[in-house]
Amino acid sequence: MPKSSPRLKIVNRLRVFRAERRITQEELAKEIGVTRATIIAIEGGGYNPSLELAFRLARHFDADINELFSVEEDGK
Amino acid sequence: MKRCDTTMLQIFSYGIPVLVLYGVYAYLYRGSPVDRPETVWRLIYNFGGLILAAWMLLSLYLSLRLMASGGFRDEVLSRMTFIKERDEREIMLTGVAVKKTFLTSLAILIFLFFLSCFHVSLSKLPPGETIDGKTRVLTLDISLNLIRDSGPQDPGATKHAVDIVSYEGLPITSTAVILLLILWQILSYNCAMRRLMREGNAT
Repeated sequence: MPKSSPRLKIVNRLRVFRAERRITQEELAKEIGVTRATIIAIEGGGYNPSLELAFRLARHFDADINELFSVEEDGK
Repeated sequence: MKRCDTTMLQIFSYGIPVLVLYGVYAYLYRGSPVDRPETVWRLIYNFGGLILAAWMLLSLYLSLRLMASGGFRDEVLSRMTFIKERDEREIMLTGVAVKKTFLTSLAILIFLFFLSCFHVSLSKLPPGETIDGKTRVLTLDISLNLIRDSGPQDPGATKHAVDIVSYEGLPITSTAVILLLILWQILSYNCAMRRLMREGNAT
């Protein structure tokens, strides 16, 4: 069995970006084209968006994708 | 969906309550038109028969269309099973819920398969036919009949035995099994999907 690499945890600052721009979850969801439940799940860390959605979010906030999403090793 | 498909689906759906009403009516006022020679009765029976024949043809056509046409199947069955795929997360959750449903259905089918194959009977032998002084016989049998067999039962040594307990395959009809599986698939999918949506955690 191949040696498993450490799990990576993707963290995001979506809630911060949204608060800075004073946008509700509902408004963001509508503008991005997803449901509010998806925004809630992303903010809560329960769902990692696809690359396409991550880029769409970054573009919407006019930010670099690395500002919005970052990776850290699980357990650290 | 094509306009004719929509119309046929509507006719099929509206036909169900009409057929139920007709069935209830026929049950309440039993008797063939021969017994009741009045013209009204004859008309009711003929009209009911016509509706039933048309509805049966329509149901056959629609079920064949469901098997043959992917687009039609997606649209109709998604609506029937309450599948919602409004964004990428819901598409992913649908996949997870469908996998759960598929695996549980498969487990049920395997269980039903074994139940349908096994025949078990515990019988009591008449006093003159004891085997090694024993009066009770436990018979175990596995049969894999792929087509319905209504031939004579195997006349064994216990032909005069009186059954105490007997189990010969599933006690329900194939229609009931199919109906239960359809209901199970819809229920299982919706329960799994609801749980996943609530958890908001399928990564």
